[in-house]
Amino acid sequence: MKRYIGKRVLTGIITILIVFSINFVIINIAPGDPVKTLMGQETDDPELRAALEEKYGLDEPLPVQYLTYLKNALKGDLGISIIYNRPVIKMITEKLSATILLVLTSAILSLLIGTIMGIIAARKEDSIIDLIFSGFSYILNSVPSFWLGLLFIILFSTVLKILPTYGMTNVRTSYTGLAYVWDVIKHMVLPVSTLVLIQIPLYFRIAKSSVLQVINEDFILTLRATGMREKKIFNKYVFKNAILPTVTTFGISLAYLITGVVLIEIVFAWPGTGRLVLTAINQRDYPTLMGIYLIMSVSIAVMMMIIDILYAMLDPRIRY
Amino acid sequence: MIETILNDKQLFFGILGIIFLLSVFALAPVIAPQNPYNYGPDILNGIGENGHLLGTNKMGQDIFSMIIYGARTSLQVAVISALISGLIGIIIGGIAGFFGGIVDEILSEIINIFMMLPTFFLILLIISLFGNSIYNVMIVIGLTTWPRNAKLMRGEALSLRERTFVKAATAMGENKPQLLFKYIIPNGLFPVIANTTVGMANAILTEASLSFLGLGDPNIISWGQMIYEGKSYLTSAWWIAFFAGIAIVITVTIFYLLGDGLNHVMNPKHSVGKGV
Repeated sequence: MKRYIGKRVLTGIITILIVFSINFVIINIAPGDPVKTLMGQETDDPELRAALEEKYGLDEPLPVQYLTYLKNALKGDLGISIIYNRPVIKMITEKLSATILLVLTSAILSLLIGTIMGIIAARKEDSIIDLIFSGFSYILNSVPSFWLGLLFIILFSTVLKILPTYGMTNVRTSYTGLAYVWDVIKHMVLPVSTLVLIQIPLYFRIAKSSVLQVINEDFILTLRATGMREKKIFNKYVFKNAILPTVTTFGISLAYLITGVVLIEIVFAWPGTGRLVLTAINQRDYPTLMGIYLIMSVSIAVMMMIIDILYAMLDPRIRY
Repeated sequence: MIETILNDKQLFFGILGIIFLLSVFALAPVIAPQNPYNYGPDILNGIGENGHLLGTNKMGQDIFSMIIYGARTSLQVAVISALISGLIGIIIGGIAGFFGGIVDEILSEIINIFMMLPTFFLILLIISLFGNSIYNVMIVIGLTTWPRNAKLMRGEALSLRERTFVKAATAMGENKPQLLFKYIIPNGLFPVIANTTVGMANAILTEASLSFLGLGDPNIISWGQMIYEGKSYLTSAWWIAFFAGIAIVITVTIFYLLGDGLNHVMNPKHSVGKGV
């Protein structure tokens, strides 16, 4: 086990190094020179240029530059935003809580709903419920998340005017305490529903196929032959074995959500990192874009590492 | 062959769908009532108004014709990026599985690491830096989505190299590159093809997402860009974004059906529970 954890942590570290390297390579091979990329194509301030050249050691050979870049990045210095003239890392951390709120809420809800749907479909295989759930999940799998969000907006801003379709709070009022929480929850309903619907197929598929797989194993047949009640077999034996793959799926889903949430935040004008991404794209604010990419990649690498180790602990058969 | 296709519903509808998409691709100028690149006088017409089946946008372009032409963009993105990603995956995976040992260990680790990178954001970053021409989009999607293909090819190569016909060829004195390209890769191709079909679906979704972020190629018509443009007219002209999205859903579903169908045919034993 210790060996496995050690190996997995090492892979995690290599992954993070590769992410930094990709970023470094991109800055260097992008059209135009790196300084221009970092300070904006339109600005030409000799002082700023000199400062950037000094900071990244741009007169040094490439390998030295790479080390300087790594050192800065590992210290948490991801550069300065061209547009806001503020440290990128600060801008991102400010927006992070709103994003995490969306990601975690929808991750947990989709895990519950998708898995329950999968289990029901597997236990009643080929029934009408199974057909409906499977078809629903198949179609949802093909739906672009942002378009689904737009459909909700069409529906709720024109027909059903009961839910807010924009932002995180009602800016015309200044609620405090419970009223504030309720306001945020109301604003969360549509973005979270979109993300949950998009995630359901992932869990549904895994839950259904792993329950079916376990049900068809010999030991379940033996248990049935002993006359044990179907309900008891399921609760005691099938469920425990079938739920394991969901752990890995949860990791994959979180990784997807961390990047996928950007689109949904933009659709619903949610004040998280998504807004930052959109302005950074429109204003060609590359340091900010790169900083967001780094933070996303590192958090995904760390999360996948934790999930893998957790999985190995839960399932002693798994050792890579 | 025909019996297999008829027996597997997903494969059957997948193939039917692909034939449909290819005909739209080929016959776009015939099917589309207007040239969608031309701006017309009918601005923001509703459904059926002035003979516009699905309405028009703010430039007076016919939405139905735009959707027909958008199929061309989506299919091009799907096929070209899938070819690139398939080619890289096949070569890296083939080498890893065929040579084995230390080569395999290193390549497998690289494949695993690349599978963990958040692809969509990397694509977004590269496109915003290198320019948003549709060719860049295709190439970058291809360059970032190969690891799954490599993993599949590696598995195939690992088992193929132990087979008698490969051993026989080795005994006949064929060298390693010959073995790899003549026996291993052609025989291990099928799982990669099935996976590539799913990859095409994902490429279409990726292109649409990029366009939605304003990173689409402004010189072509794509469904993602129609949604991006329609976002500003959600309450007044919902049809601009709505029908483009439906087109994406239908196309992506067709590719998924085909991919699942091919998977069933390939390993019928594993099809239990996979037909979700």
